[in-house]
Amino acid sequence: MSTATQPAPAERAAFRRPRIRFFGQEAPLGYLLLAPTLCMLLAFLAYPFVVGLWLSVTDSEVGAIGRFVGLGNYRHEFLHDRVFLSSISNTFVYTAATTVFKLVLGLVMAVLLNQAFPLQRFVRAALLLPFIVPTVLSTLAWRWMFDPTFSVINWVLARSGLAAHGVNWLGTPQTAMASLIIVNVWRGAPFYGISFLAGLQVIPIELYEAARVDGGTRWQQFLRITLPMLRPVLLVVLLLSTILTFADFQLPFVLTNGAPYSSSHLLATWAYAQAIQGGAMGIGAAISLVLFPVLSIVIAGVLIALQRQD
Amino acid sequence: MGEGAIVGKRTQRRRRLTRRAFLQSAGAATAAAAAGSVLAAFAGGTPAAAAAVPKPRAGARIRLLQWNSFVRAADNELRRQAKEFGDANGLVVEIETVSGDQLQPRTVAAVAAGDGPDIIQMQYGWPHLYTSSTVNVDNEVAYLMQRLGKVHPVNEAYCKVGGHWRAIPYTQVPNAWSYRTDLFQKAGVTSFPKTWDELIVAGKKVADATGKPIAQTVGHAYGDSLTMWNPVLWGFGGQEVDKDGKTVVINSSETEAALRWAIRAQQNGIKWFPEWLDPDNNQAYHADRISATLNGPSIYIREVIEFKHFDQVTNNAPMPSGPKGSFTLNLIMNHAVMSWSKEQETAKAFLLSLMEKGNYSKWLKAARGYNHGPFEGLYDDPVWHYDLKLRAYRNVVIDSQGRPIGEWPGWPAAPSKQTSQSQTQFVVADMFAKAVATGDTKAAMNDAEAKLKAIFGAP
Amino acid sequence: MAIQSGPALFAPGAPGRGIRGPSRRRGRHEIGDSPLGRWVRLYIPVLLFLFVTLFPFYWMLITSFKSPSELLDFNQSPLFVIKPTFEHYRHLFTETHFGRWTLNTTVVAVVSTLISLVCSILAGYSLARLRYRGADTIGWGIFVTYLVPPTLLFLPLAFLIRRLHLFNNLWSLILTYPTFLIPFSTWLLIGYFKGIPRELEESALVDGATRVQTMIRIVVPLALPGILSAGIFAFTLCWNEFLYSLIFMNDTIAKTISVGVTSELIRGDDFFWGELMAASLLGSLPVALLYSFFVDRFVAGLTAGAVKG
Repeated sequence: MSTATQPAPAERAAFRRPRIRFFGQEAPLGYLLLAPTLCMLLAFLAYPFVVGLWLSVTDSEVGAIGRFVGLGNYRHEFLHDRVFLSSISNTFVYTAATTVFKLVLGLVMAVLLNQAFPLQRFVRAALLLPFIVPTVLSTLAWRWMFDPTFSVINWVLARSGLAAHGVNWLGTPQTAMASLIIVNVWRGAPFYGISFLAGLQVIPIELYEAARVDGGTRWQQFLRITLPMLRPVLLVVLLLSTILTFADFQLPFVLTNGAPYSSSHLLATWAYAQAIQGGAMGIGAAISLVLFPVLSIVIAGVLIALQRQD
Repeated sequence: MGEGAIVGKRTQRRRRLTRRAFLQSAGAATAAAAAGSVLAAFAGGTPAAAAAVPKPRAGARIRLLQWNSFVRAADNELRRQAKEFGDANGLVVEIETVSGDQLQPRTVAAVAAGDGPDIIQMQYGWPHLYTSSTVNVDNEVAYLMQRLGKVHPVNEAYCKVGGHWRAIPYTQVPNAWSYRTDLFQKAGVTSFPKTWDELIVAGKKVADATGKPIAQTVGHAYGDSLTMWNPVLWGFGGQEVDKDGKTVVINSSETEAALRWAIRAQQNGIKWFPEWLDPDNNQAYHADRISATLNGPSIYIREVIEFKHFDQVTNNAPMPSGPKGSFTLNLIMNHAVMSWSKEQETAKAFLLSLMEKGNYSKWLKAARGYNHGPFEGLYDDPVWHYDLKLRAYRNVVIDSQGRPIGEWPGWPAAPSKQTSQSQTQFVVADMFAKAVATGDTKAAMNDAEAKLKAIFGAP
Repeated sequence: MAIQSGPALFAPGAPGRGIRGPSRRRGRHEIGDSPLGRWVRLYIPVLLFLFVTLFPFYWMLITSFKSPSELLDFNQSPLFVIKPTFEHYRHLFTETHFGRWTLNTTVVAVVSTLISLVCSILAGYSLARLRYRGADTIGWGIFVTYLVPPTLLFLPLAFLIRRLHLFNNLWSLILTYPTFLIPFSTWLLIGYFKGIPRELEESALVDGATRVQTMIRIVVPLALPGILSAGIFAFTLCWNEFLYSLIFMNDTIAKTISVGVTSELIRGDDFFWGELMAASLLGSLPVALLYSFFVDRFVAGLTAGAVKG
């Protein structure tokens, strides 16, 4: 730890002159502390990522290293692959719709749970369950619940007279996408809800009391106090959730795997179908990476905006 | 008589006394002398120019990766044979089984990493996809052909790449129609339809009389979507690509006829489900919701062994034929020895032992008709005689004259990377699904054509 | 907006800690002035949420007790079990390696979480507190890694794992899981660290402590709720992971729950629904227990870190 003691004398000096920044002296320690993280990420993330990047600009197939083809894979996908194009729009629709629903339901859940009622602890813990159970298994359960022959949901709908033949959950492009969205929201809304709940609880009560005194309605209080105060939490949760939903694989793979007739493929599942099942690694890599530049710019923008807030 | 005489004949007929051949014949002699050697139990067959016999290495440890067989008893029998082989030769054979859709990512990862199981079960056209990772097994297949006769053309099409055998033929899972005889009788249909048009007639009658339709998937079912819709397409004369394997010919009046048939079928009480996967038609049948479906023998077997509700009233029938003839497609599985294996000779020896007639027959028996042999000498197995209802599954592999029948995805083009891609993207099934859902056959064909052109003309 | 900083952050047992109980004083969206109002605006919506959230679990539960013939029998209500059977649970425990899989998953989750926590504490401190060129870019870069999907990464990784001779070894997972655990943990902890006032450290530094000492003695203890939250979230992500585990762990006894269950209990066109559902329930149990102990802290840490981020 000898390097760690280096900055100490300098730092002592620094605090007697608080204005001076020490870019140089803090760098060694800074990088040292970053070292374990950087090592792990470089070895097990950066290296495969670079390989993936390289694959996307070659015509590699499984077991056969290909030649460099520049943007050929991307061009091929955009020009000739209809499923690819629909998977892009599906992914955007999926991410947008699930995020909106999770946001709204999460807020409602948080507001509700912020009240006093019996068994509150139990309810909070119970609501986290969808987030806890392994995705593969819970999605299988949902698949069984949506099953065209045995759907318990349809059984209930039919018996209760709400829908004579139930809903064709996985059988048309629209309902298949809707089913994906439903399962994703079921799984993710609790996380939003619980996060917002704790965010709610740190809002000082005085603000609300002042608003009541001024005659504000509950709805106005919500808009003017709650939402702005929740903003940092909102942004964090939204950002993380959006990124993860864009790359979601397990859920759509287990629930529909593209059916009916390849209309419900998302980017991740289509990339998998091309690379693993079809053997076209270069194309699969290109599909996986196609949104990467756009999304990383967006994230950078959001993160910078968040930093500026401080 | 047995062993000594066979060995004697072999050494007499040896034409090239290469060192390897010499050692192997010596090895065969030793093995034959040893009590438990399975290879020495090969009897009969024409002792022509003898192919060299791979010799297992004592102390080796090999692993075989394959799918979970539907019939668990078959996997148990396989494990038993693996243990027997291992004990007899002082080595260990591990059998790993995974679910069907996990087999491919495992295989791909192994190929990409250049390491993994010694033997991998190749489904469909995988030998064409992963050729460079498989070992040339010309020798072993020649050995088997000497004893068991010719290979079924479909297994051959899949195992042979560029004129060389890259996998040892293993089995076919035959697909035929399972149907409820009681429901059909109630509707006045005395035997299962022989043509696709007759199927529509029967379908309407049965649906009207019993409310339980004939049904099948038109979705992304790994097995059922292929075994159903490719034969329909071919039956009407449609093809994905031409024999040259390059020209996309899907957009044709024959294909249109096939699509129209599917639409007409749906309008007449037959149900095509675009979201059904492989288990769905099984489950629907067991739950008394449908009256007939195309499947492997699993429906019938499960009724007989487990449920016993409809086993008496279930019968099986081969594929109906279309205007251009009768076509069938079965699930094809073969074993490839992988190039990274450090025990290739042992692996080959093990595979040969599995294909030995006695062993293979025991495995077929355990599978209760779920599997069919890929070599001439394995065609006529007792398993096809004890339950006549299983005959249909035999008849989709060998016709009544004893000739092998059947096609593969992409037929008449030879299996290739492109045909495999078309298959995994479910181009044919999607085309039928779209046509049935929208009624627009032109759009469906154009869509399929675009997809195939992208596949077959890809950079 | 600022949160109480310093020791108040984690005073154990303080009534304001964790998810606080609801305010007894009127204010902040008191819902329902009348009993009917309460029912309509509070109890019924809560029940609705509970129902939608928990119904699939109820479904899993009854499916795990239904025999196959009952499962496929639609002449009776699918909502209840007429003749429950323990066969599926028995099968799961005696004929598959479910116990072993649970152990594997737990080991991997615990060790990966620990490793990523250590890494992200160090990295988070470095990025939050120290100033040097490239810090911001690295911070952003670490987070952007989430955009790279595992479906792209797992093949080159397989090659790497093979080179390291780690196939079938739990270390293959333990070393690769942190790649998706560290970014989030780091980011959460950065927010948390930033909220801890510099004065605390500065006074220690003036007294002669090194940076590292202040990190270990002052900052980390204060950030414990955030660390706990990051840890619990990381644990959940590990528990849930599927693809890497499928590829790297091949021996039956080496598998994790998700992979083992789906690999052994799906045979051809036969899904063993009873066993699959039993495994889903049992497979969630350990994590659910973990959460029930820590849920308050988890959420508090999450939000506090976020608010300051």
